[in-house]
Amino acid sequence: MLRFAVRRLLYSLPVLLVGSFLLFWAVRTVFDPLLKLRQVRDPELIARETERLGLNDGIFTQYWRWLSGFMSGDWGVSSRTSGSVRPMIGSALTVTLELLVWGVVFATLAAVLIGVWSAVRQYSFSDHALTGLAYVGLALPAFWFGLILIQFLAVWPQQALGWDKPLFFFIGLSSPGQDPTFVDTARHMVLPVLTLTVGLVAVWSRFTRASMLDALSSDYVRTARAKGVPPRRVVVNHALRNAWGPLVTVVALDSALLIGGLLVTEQVFSIPGMGRLFLDSLLAGDVFVLLPWMVITGAAVIILNLVADITYGVLDPRVRVA
Amino acid sequence: MDWIASCAGSIWGSYMAQVTTIPVVYNVRKQGNDWLPQISSIMASEPVVSAGPPQTVTYKLNPAAVWSDGKPITSADLKYTALQIRDGKDILDKTGYADVTDIATPDAQTAVVTFSKPYAGWKLLFSGSSGVLPSHLLQGKDRAAVMKDGYTWSGGPWIIESWKKGESITLVPNAGYWGDKPKLDKVVFQFTADTAAAFQAFKSGQLDAIYPTPQLDAIDQIKAGIPGAKVQVEAASGNLEALWMNNARPLLKSAAVRQALSYSIDRNAIVGRIYGPLDVKSPAQSFYPPILSAFGGQDFSVYGLDLAKVDQLMTGDGWAKGADGVWAKDGKPATLTITTIAGNKRRELMEQVMQQQLKTAGFDLTIKNAAAADLFGKILPDGTFDIGIWTLVTTFPDPGLSFAFDSGNIPSEANQFSGLNYSRTDVPGLNPVLTTVDTATDPNARLAATQAGDKLIAESATSLPIAAIPNVLLTLDKIGGPTSINPSEGPFWNLEQWGLVG
Repeated sequence: MLRFAVRRLLYSLPVLLVGSFLLFWAVRTVFDPLLKLRQVRDPELIARETERLGLNDGIFTQYWRWLSGFMSGDWGVSSRTSGSVRPMIGSALTVTLELLVWGVVFATLAAVLIGVWSAVRQYSFSDHALTGLAYVGLALPAFWFGLILIQFLAVWPQQALGWDKPLFFFIGLSSPGQDPTFVDTARHMVLPVLTLTVGLVAVWSRFTRASMLDALSSDYVRTARAKGVPPRRVVVNHALRNAWGPLVTVVALDSALLIGGLLVTEQVFSIPGMGRLFLDSLLAGDVFVLLPWMVITGAAVIILNLVADITYGVLDPRVRVA
Repeated sequence: MDWIASCAGSIWGSYMAQVTTIPVVYNVRKQGNDWLPQISSIMASEPVVSAGPPQTVTYKLNPAAVWSDGKPITSADLKYTALQIRDGKDILDKTGYADVTDIATPDAQTAVVTFSKPYAGWKLLFSGSSGVLPSHLLQGKDRAAVMKDGYTWSGGPWIIESWKKGESITLVPNAGYWGDKPKLDKVVFQFTADTAAAFQAFKSGQLDAIYPTPQLDAIDQIKAGIPGAKVQVEAASGNLEALWMNNARPLLKSAAVRQALSYSIDRNAIVGRIYGPLDVKSPAQSFYPPILSAFGGQDFSVYGLDLAKVDQLMTGDGWAKGADGVWAKDGKPATLTITTIAGNKRRELMEQVMQQQLKTAGFDLTIKNAAAADLFGKILPDGTFDIGIWTLVTTFPDPGLSFAFDSGNIPSEANQFSGLNYSRTDVPGLNPVLTTVDTATDPNARLAATQAGDKLIAESATSLPIAAIPNVLLTLDKIGGPTSINPSEGPFWNLEQWGLVG
């Protein structure tokens, strides 16, 4: 297994290197690193920064300089905030991962339960109802659903019951000005996690259902049933174990994309995560943040792809041999 | 939070943390109907101006004024601040400071600033966006490094307890403040990204006050009514939204065409549609915003919707309407593009309304918006636009339009494209008038010059003011105190007087 993981990791490195260069080239081509400074109207400052950043050098020289700095932990300084980029991205990534982990855990549990239920009861009323709900979940725009959740689960109950504060908060991930507690964090997390979860459950439950139906119609399941294995054990030990593979891959890839893709949820709930950092940096033309941001999210895709491969390998030994 | 540096550009950050912690020589306070500079409590008396030459300003500081560590605010602090701005490398605005030749500090409470040339806007020094910095804490250190992530000292009623970037700023009372102490124990400014969610948070009591940008969604929320809240709309702001015409473009070089465009746009309809729900219905008639209304005239009031006047001006300039209803001259149609910051819904709506109005008048307008950084970093300096909508921001009630209308400030090779006269205005006789506004220390001569300048700009229709952007403050009924909006210092200018009712 270790050899398999190391081999996959080594395959990933050139991909990451080529990807980072393409990103560097694209960002340098599209954005002017000195855009913000040009608004200050100080030609001396522009000349000095051009020299300091080596913007007159060739693209490969610039890339190598940037890569060396990036690898040694010097990710530069944001032109928007003048803060160091590494802690900015670190802080945003932590916030997003906190949201994402809860979202993925809940979404996976819900998706497996719904998918298995639907597959075991194929074409039943509940299967049709869950299928319909999945399509509704897929169609719900996150910004709208987030605001609806705020209205239905926070504002109206508070008004109806005359509470001083809503049961679920919807600004940030903790109450400012006080030490964070588990209860306070949970009250802030419920609505954004629900917003994030609904789309994921809709997609993943369909995958689970399809994989389960495939597994349930296979020979080994039929054999297990013929041997008198109890139905619950057939579903859990035989079918579900084999249905995990495709779901794990989808969960890993979707999670990687969500690291940078929670923009709407983060925007609605004022969560200072990776999505908002990207939007703020993009609007300000802050290349010093955009570039490491893209490399980190790109690396997340590659790493989680690797995790999916390894997990798949654990679940299905035939993959390791292949 | 290095307020004088080039990276400082957030007006919100200034409202929350600068106004509350950085001492200034002049505050802006309401006197009668006008917001005017008024010496702050760090001053012992009004500064004394000597016209010279050379012009000097003598400051006398209040011996009771101290920093949060108990050290007095002294003339050394004024000197340190002025030299940091004058000689600094990454400074946001050196206006006035660049002309300072000497700062004498005969004693701890006296500073005498000498200018190389007359400077009428001297009240801006150590006020507005700069303030006074503590030399005993910053001298010999990298100021930017010390301040950029927040600072632990204060010369105002509040001190910064924490700044969670992208999340919140927490202020607590400055125990060393010499004036009236704040009534609240702590104030947390929560950054909210989504207007709808911010309003819901306000309604649910998660937020006690909000200060929304008057975008369409916020206006709709206010229009719908918010029970248990006080809504304050202050039309006297320092932000003037205008339609800027690029006078260097072939079509817009003609004053007749610019005037015709000005007569084609129904500004009353635009302002009523957008700000009507806030009871702001009149367009701006001067390039001086309401905060400087004492200096501006009403010269743009001649420009109302008048299609007969459009026809007269265009035909007089050799244009004729084609079969498509669009003016044309020498085979070239009167087509224009308009640009503003992409995603600004209020301005996008203005553009769409103007597009319809101009179509009726015989002009073909295409909307082509851009990101803010591109607009202000490239498009405007390069002059690659026809007309645009952006805001003239005035943060201190001191007049002056030379930066935007003096032909010497047209971006060019000569000034390495650093000028801010993006409309490429070059009106005969205007430059000397604008220079008088910048240099005359006689208030009457200055007032006469501001009004003469406004008249010249209006007559040549180099651009067209649309409306001052009103400021809006919403507070829950439980918030007590004289809450109001200061057009220069923002809504939290008197935060120390806020309290909780009951």
